[in-house]
Amino acid sequence: MPEGTIVGSDAKGDCRVSLVPGKSLAIEVATEDPRLFERGIREVVEETLAKLGRIQGTLSVADKGSLDYVIAARVEAAVRTALPKTPSIVPAIERRASEKDAPRRSRLYAPGNNPRLLVGIELHRADCVLLDLEDSVPPTEKAAARVLVKHLLGAIDFPNEVWVRINPLALGGADDVREVILARPHGVALPKAESRDDVVALSKELAKAEQAFGAPLGSTWIMPILETAKGVLHAEEIAAADPRVAVVAFGAEDFTRDVGARRTSESLLFARSMIVAAAKAAGVQASDTVYADIDDEVGLAVEAHLARDLGFDGKGAIHPGQIPALHAAFTPSEKEMDEARKIVTAAEEAEAHGIGAIAIGGKMIDRPVLERARRVVRLSDRLSRKESR
Amino acid sequence: MKNALGREIPTTIGNRSVEAYAGAFAKQRSGFKAPQPQKSSVPGENKVLPSLEAAIEATGLKDGMTISFHHSFREGDRVINQVVDACARMGLKDLRLFPTALFGTHAKLVDHIKSGVVSRIEGSMNGPVGAFISQGGKLREPATLRSHGGRWRAIESGDVAIDVAFIAASQADAYGNANGINGRTPCGPITFCMVDAQYARKTVVVTNELAPYPAYPLEIQQGWVDYIVVVDEVGDPEQIASGTLEMTKSPARLRIARLAADAVVASPYFKDGLSFQGGAGGVSLAATMYLAEAMEKAKIVGGFVMGGGTRIMVEMLHKGLVRTILDGQAFDPIAVASLGVDPAHVIMNPGLYANYDSRGCATYMLDAAFLGATEVDVDFNVNVNTHSDGRLLHGIGGHQDVAAGAKMTVITAPSIRGRLPVILDRVTTVTTPGEVVDVIVTERGIAVNPRRDDLKACFRDAGLPVRDIAELKAEADGLVRPLGKPVFGDEVVAAIEWRDGTVIDVVRKVEGWQ
Repeated sequence: MPEGTIVGSDAKGDCRVSLVPGKSLAIEVATEDPRLFERGIREVVEETLAKLGRIQGTLSVADKGSLDYVIAARVEAAVRTALPKTPSIVPAIERRASEKDAPRRSRLYAPGNNPRLLVGIELHRADCVLLDLEDSVPPTEKAAARVLVKHLLGAIDFPNEVWVRINPLALGGADDVREVILARPHGVALPKAESRDDVVALSKELAKAEQAFGAPLGSTWIMPILETAKGVLHAEEIAAADPRVAVVAFGAEDFTRDVGARRTSESLLFARSMIVAAAKAAGVQASDTVYADIDDEVGLAVEAHLARDLGFDGKGAIHPGQIPALHAAFTPSEKEMDEARKIVTAAEEAEAHGIGAIAIGGKMIDRPVLERARRVVRLSDRLSRKESR
Repeated sequence: MKNALGREIPTTIGNRSVEAYAGAFAKQRSGFKAPQPQKSSVPGENKVLPSLEAAIEATGLKDGMTISFHHSFREGDRVINQVVDACARMGLKDLRLFPTALFGTHAKLVDHIKSGVVSRIEGSMNGPVGAFISQGGKLREPATLRSHGGRWRAIESGDVAIDVAFIAASQADAYGNANGINGRTPCGPITFCMVDAQYARKTVVVTNELAPYPAYPLEIQQGWVDYIVVVDEVGDPEQIASGTLEMTKSPARLRIARLAADAVVASPYFKDGLSFQGGAGGVSLAATMYLAEAMEKAKIVGGFVMGGGTRIMVEMLHKGLVRTILDGQAFDPIAVASLGVDPAHVIMNPGLYANYDSRGCATYMLDAAFLGATEVDVDFNVNVNTHSDGRLLHGIGGHQDVAAGAKMTVITAPSIRGRLPVILDRVTTVTTPGEVVDVIVTERGIAVNPRRDDLKACFRDAGLPVRDIAELKAEADGLVRPLGKPVFGDEVVAAIEWRDGTVIDVVRKVEGWQ
């Protein structure tokens, strides 16, 4: 295949596609067993090309067991690399809108340019799947990754939320937004957010993209990820920067590097507390950093409970196996739920009778306790409405 | 004619007439087994011969006869190739091979088939020999595939008469007592060949280590053995674990394993005395591990765990999570080592394990079993024998025996492999009928056989993702365009026997594609 136009890889579950522009269209397909697979692959290629306009040239596909949406994504990316004026494909999708305070006990990261690790990513019951275009994607694969993520978003029905972690705006993030917004993720995570302006700039990009592509204005949430000293110190203005901000996340790996800390629960305490306080002051959720050792279940559980105790609403996961521990830590216990329901009921009754003060068993309930109880009730209602598994 | 599953099968295969599969337990027999050879002996006889050629000569092996082998060394086996090479050097032709299984290491048999030394094969064919045969290779008669228990039954009933059994042993004495447990290169139990040794007209033990009398444990016994040959190498124990013991890292596969274990935990069988079949392969191993964790947490002590023995089973025994391991073949060196020293790690021969025409099978005592699949269909039928392109690739192993016996048979399979859908309207070949399959677990959810509404209720109560099998199929089909389909001709390449000796399906030669 000629240099410079190759998209995709030879890894299992992927395919390698190239386009050499020419005067007529020729499609070459190589696959493990052409008798089984070639016809299907050709169908996908032809349909994808038809959506891209009148493409002329030799398009080669070398398949390693890739699903249809992967082939479509690779073909689109190859065509747009070779013929940059080609317009993007807009997937036909219906996605249920998500609420600003939807349960986000777990946010599962998945590398945006690795088809094999993306297969079935929607099945692990993460409250929030985060398709990553940033750290897990090498610079040369960024363009192909955003197209792949778009096609994945278009092809897969996610039972809960699905977000995309874009690159910082100045480093391709704006292109990421323009591409993935076509497939309507519930939200966009902004890494290395350091100021109010970072968030506002992203919000403007989102608004532009939403308008350009006919998505309801303001329908895409923002999750700023604070992972630098500056970002943590500006947590308050970042959390309150824009109504799109639904959750503020902490990224400890980069933060410890930035401040020169070693990662311990003590060394992260200030940043964590700062983020929780800023998020809650702005009325949004806080999500803790990921736990990197996927084999250490005890360490994960301890850290998740610590985060819960600090006031976080959820935590990142880098492997589906970590999700049950996160859900265990961030789901209110039966006792908490019962108490919260009692408080909310008492408040409703008090209101109905025009009584200002709320008391249960002679004990006065003050405003923050009531607000907390309302959050717990909302969360438990939403969790019980979700598919059990 | 059509059998009970509606599969079209011929009335004769080779020169034997075919009985059609009528149901998992439809066929019931009583009567007498085929006779075993009988021969007196006197003190002082020498059974040790200097070479394989001398032994082959002494047995009177002739063109057209049947020779048998076991597969306990798996990919590490060195005996089958040595014996068939020797037969070829001696000019023998038209032999029928009757191994318990063949592996990739036996690829050179293809040359012996081409040159006419071997003209028929009866037995599970993994890899290159199977691929060659299904391309319509030069076999004089279609191959017959049988389960572990089915093969034992076929010998005892006289369906297959063995002329000479060649039995690889890591240790033997000069009088013929032999085992796979001791010696420099142990492979685990060699009892797959016990029935061969008793029924073959002549039996030759092939070993690389002659021990003082008596060599023990007494897997193969002197009274059944005519000759002993000492060779440099019988097998490489390092290779018995090949391919079957990689613990999977794939999140999708781990999810299947987790759901499979959760299904057992949610079933009524999850209580003290729980017995289950573990098996090898990434998903089964992980499921066994998850189940062991759940047992430990719930403080449940299992009755027995069955299978090819693995490190995980040995660990369960040592932790007190199960009382006994019933082990028909060892899948790793830790299982082999444990067999020699732990009385609760019990050697199980395939007759005890799964002989349909016997007064009891160990598999019938199983509560739960994890088994794999190449394909499944919406009627819960399972194919482990053929690839979707029609190629014969794998043996039956104990699949049928375990599925028929266990109270809860759990098939674990991804809904899609690469671009290959795994859930079909109709499997390419039926190995195990839906009648004996209870649950199919994929990464997309758990499908329960409509016969088992009781289990479905348990799973629902436990919050497991119970799905209709047609729904799972539709979801996976949505990810890939339909496959090209092989067009099968009339020519039968292999017969798949159900464990009772009836034919459940046949594999036909691929003639074209649509």
